[in-house]
Amino acid sequence: MLGFSTRSDKTRAEFEGLVAPWLDSLYGGALRLTRNERDAEDLVQDTVMRAYRFFDKFERGTNFRAWLFKILTNTFINGYRRQVKERSLGDESERQSVEAQFFSADTTDQAQNPEDFLLQRVMSDDVLKAIDGLPIDFRMVVILADLQEFSYKEIAEILDVPVGTVMSRLFRGRRQLEGLLRKRELAEEAPLVDLNAYRERKKLG
Amino acid sequence: MNCRDLEPLVMPYLDGELVEAERLAVERHLTECAGCSKQAEVGRHNRTLLRTLVKAGTPPAPESLKAKIFTSVRAVEARQRQGRFLRLSAAAAGVALCAFVGHQQWRSFQRRLYVEDAASRHARQFPLEVRLPQPEALEAWFDGKLGHRVAVPRFPNAIAEGARVLNVREKQAAYIRYDAPARASAQPRQVGLFVFGDNSNDVDVGARGAPDLRNSNGYNVVTWREGDLVYQLVTDLEEDDIRELLPSEPPMRVPVPVPVPTRRPLDVQPAAFQR
Repeated sequence: MLGFSTRSDKTRAEFEGLVAPWLDSLYGGALRLTRNERDAEDLVQDTVMRAYRFFDKFERGTNFRAWLFKILTNTFINGYRRQVKERSLGDESERQSVEAQFFSADTTDQAQNPEDFLLQRVMSDDVLKAIDGLPIDFRMVVILADLQEFSYKEIAEILDVPVGTVMSRLFRGRRQLEGLLRKRELAEEAPLVDLNAYRERKKLG
Repeated sequence: MNCRDLEPLVMPYLDGELVEAERLAVERHLTECAGCSKQAEVGRHNRTLLRTLVKAGTPPAPESLKAKIFTSVRAVEARQRQGRFLRLSAAAAGVALCAFVGHQQWRSFQRRLYVEDAASRHARQFPLEVRLPQPEALEAWFDGKLGHRVAVPRFPNAIAEGARVLNVREKQAAYIRYDAPARASAQPRQVGLFVFGDNSNDVDVGARGAPDLRNSNGYNVVTWREGDLVYQLVTDLEEDDIRELLPSEPPMRVPVPVPVPTRRPLDVQPAAFQR
């Protein structure tokens, strides 16, 4: 009995030590995959518990972070994707209308020049929204490359696809992302109502 | 390398994914071509900006989530440990059960051996050492011959023929032979009774000291225990005759029918029936 408990205790301590540094990045990735906090928390919890259950399958000394993200993406694809899809079907029209507000149809086509600098006034929120609007295959690659900074080879292993596929998805994903952001920029070039000025006017009036 | 060759290499170049030779070729072209150089610069700027913004907009995991995860991990570990404990316990219980069942079967087997030995020794009709009909006289004769006092049971309808010392397996026993009446025949049947000490409880007589009736070699063998003494009665009497023989034996719980008091009919009838 004592031998058993000591061993499982040691395994758990080892696992906790390995997983603790990556909880934030797992959550960040989960948030972009599920697009909402509640599902992201559930996904991270499921991922870690699954990792713990299969911890004896993890080859010591190999890339633990990549192993965790492989479990994260698999768990998402197998469980959450359908659930999230079903949920998003209901508010699909809403999501599109939000996008339509940001990126009106007439600006879409002229915004595809990749040679332009993105403006500094692009906000984190805009980028995240744009990522959330990407198709899931592109989204996963962009999250893994630009948020988690995995190498092409690591991403290929995590998603179980060839490196060439990773490259083409990343290329197209980034292209779409920049396109979406550029549309956003163009939409913002219209004069904005200055809230402070409006308040000042009200006060004076 | 021309501009067309360069295009697919720009992104991997910026991501630091090119092998040395490719990287050097790309860099050489970029120094020579202003257009591609500008494009690479834009790409680098946008890539850096995107990454910075994505990271800036990504919150850390809530502390409550982290706490919940570690609690769950510990709970799973505790369950696993408990599971192992339960499996071990189940295994131990299994072993104990096997041991118990095995022991019971061993006891039952041992009892069977005593029954068979008693039956076969009775069947061999060993000559009696003493012929005395009175139980008191037999008790006096046995006095000092065995390691225990022999109480010779009084069977109301049976008459003692005599006795001897005889073993049942390794136990030295008092052997008393009786003649008992049988319903099926006019001739009395022989009954052999072994009495031996068994303070180590080798003869496992059924629960609560109730007599145990078994059949061996065509004989009925009734075994019962009174304290440290084991009695084995061997006979070719029928079961009913045995019950008849042992009516007053306390361990032999034969249900005695309660006599229903019969009332003599009164010689009185209702007036209407009187003539």
